[in-house]
Amino acid sequence: MTGAAIVGLGLTAMGKVYDRSGTSLAAEAVRAAVGDAGLELSDLDGLLASSGVTQSVGITLAGSLGLTELGLLAQVNSFGATAGVLVAQAAQAIAAGTASAVACVFADNPLTPRSSAGAAYGTSRSVAQTLRGTAGWSLASGATNPNIFYAMCARRHMERFGTTSEQLAEVAVAQRAWAAGNPLAQFREPITVADHQASRWIADPLHLLDCCVVSNGAVAVVVTAAERAADLARPAVHVWGHGQAHAPRRMHAGSEWGVVTPAARSGPAALRMAGVGVDDVDVCELYDCYTYTVLVTLEDYGFCAKGEGGEFVRDGRLAPGGELACNTGGGQLSSYYMWGFTPLSEAVIQARGDGGARQAPRNDVVLVSGNGGLLEHHSTLVLSPHAKAAS
Amino acid sequence: MSGDAGSSPAAVGAFPRVERDAAGAGFFDAAARGELLLRRAGDGRLLGPQDDAEARTGSADLAPVVASGRATLVSWAVVHQAPLPWLAGAVPYVCAVVELAEGPWLTVRLVDADPGALAAGQPLRVRFVPSGPPDGPGETLPVFAPA
Repeated sequence: MTGAAIVGLGLTAMGKVYDRSGTSLAAEAVRAAVGDAGLELSDLDGLLASSGVTQSVGITLAGSLGLTELGLLAQVNSFGATAGVLVAQAAQAIAAGTASAVACVFADNPLTPRSSAGAAYGTSRSVAQTLRGTAGWSLASGATNPNIFYAMCARRHMERFGTTSEQLAEVAVAQRAWAAGNPLAQFREPITVADHQASRWIADPLHLLDCCVVSNGAVAVVVTAAERAADLARPAVHVWGHGQAHAPRRMHAGSEWGVVTPAARSGPAALRMAGVGVDDVDVCELYDCYTYTVLVTLEDYGFCAKGEGGEFVRDGRLAPGGELACNTGGGQLSSYYMWGFTPLSEAVIQARGDGGARQAPRNDVVLVSGNGGLLEHHSTLVLSPHAKAAS
Repeated sequence: MSGDAGSSPAAVGAFPRVERDAAGAGFFDAAARGELLLRRAGDGRLLGPQDDAEARTGSADLAPVVASGRATLVSWAVVHQAPLPWLAGAVPYVCAVVELAEGPWLTVRLVDADPGALAAGQPLRVRFVPSGPPDGPGETLPVFAPA
C-alpha cells in the first residue's frame, strides 16, 4: 500500500456563524478532523492553513492548537485551487518522509449580522473614497468583481458555442436536488429552471441562482501515509492522483480566456497520476463558484468535447439518479462556500460512503476540482476508498 | 449589497469621479485630448495603459503610443447589481472586454449599446466621457461604443 490518504474530516457549523474568529473556526475544524481520525492533536507534525476572502487564518493557528513540535507549517493561498494544493503538498511531504500526519484547514468568516451576502464579497474596496489613476478608471468602468468577469466568461462561451442560460440553470437545479440530502446545506428547497430564470440578474448572463452562497465556517482534513491509515478510526480515502495548473492574466489577442481553463492541464495530469480516465470517474465534486464553472470544468476535464457542456448538463445528467453524480452535497451553489474545501469535504464523505440520503451509487473514483481567480488557477484530486495499486 | 451607496460622494451618475495620480497624468492628458494612450515596450510590444513593466524582460522603459481607437467586442456583461457603492448610480450598465486593433485587450465600459443587439466580434470605437458630477468633475475617461 503506497501513497497518502485522507483519514480525518472536520467541519464546523456553516453559514451565519457569527462572532467567531477565523482562527477559532479553524481550530475547531482541526480538532474535529483529528478526533474523527482517532488521532490526538499531538500526533500532528504538519499543519497547512488557508483562508478565503477574509484571510483570517495564518500560522498562528499552530500556537492556538498548542502544536509546538511541528516539522511542517505554512499558510498557503492559491485562491480557489488551494484545497487541492494543500492535499498535494501534504502527500508530497509524507512521501518525502518530512511529515507523517498533516492537517490541512480552511476557515473564512466574511458574513456579518448586518450585511448581505453580496456585500461580504462586494464592497471590500469601499474604504477608499477616491478613485485615482488608471486603476480608478478601471473601477469606474465597472468590471470590479468576480460576478462580472465570470459573466463575461460565460457570455464568451454562449457566443462561441450557443450555450444558453437554461443550460446553466440545469446545473443549479441538479445541485439543489442533491442539497436536499445534505443537513449542512444552506439552501435545500427544490428549484426549477423557471425559478432560475426568474431569479434577479446579478450580471447578465448570470442570474442570482448562477452564483454561489457565502458562508462562515471551517473545514479540515488530516492526511497520513496510506499504510498508517488502515489502523485508524475511519475508512481511509486514498489520494490516487493530484494536479495543478495556473494561467493568470491571459487577456490578450488570440487568448482562449474564459472558454478554456487551466483545468484542461490539471485534470489530465491528476488522472494520469491516478492511472484512470474520465470514464472511470463515479463522482465529480467540482468547484462551482458559478454554474458556468461546472460546465467549463466538465469540458476541460474531457467529460464532453469543448463547446458541448451545455448539452452535456441537460436533462438532469448531473442530478440525483442521473448518469454522473456531480456536486452531491449541493456544492457551493446550494450548500456552503468554503472555497475548495466544499468539493473536498463532500468528496471525502462520498468516498467513505457516508452520504446517507445523498450517497452516490458508486464511489470507486471521486474527482475533485479547485478553481481560483478568474478561471486562472486550478487543482485536481483523484480520490478513492481503495488503496492505490502499486505502480 | 450597496445600501450605503448614498453616503458616497462619488456615487453620482454613470461615471464616478476619477482623480489623476502622477503615474496616470499622461493617460488622462491624452484622454482630455480625445486620445487613448497605450505603452510600447522596447521590443515593440504594445501594452495596456495599466501595465507598468514589460512582463518578459521586466523593462519599465515604456514609450507612450496613441491607439487608433478601433476595437472589436470580445465579451460583455450587463451589470445589474452594483459591485461597489460608487456604481450605484450607474446600474444597469454594460462592461466589456475589447480587443484593440493594435492587439491589447482592455476591460472597459460600453455606452450607447443595446445589450440585446451586441455580438462577439462586432466593431467598436473609443469615446471619451467626463467623470464625476457636473459641479465637481473629475478626469476624462475612455469608454467604447458600437462603431
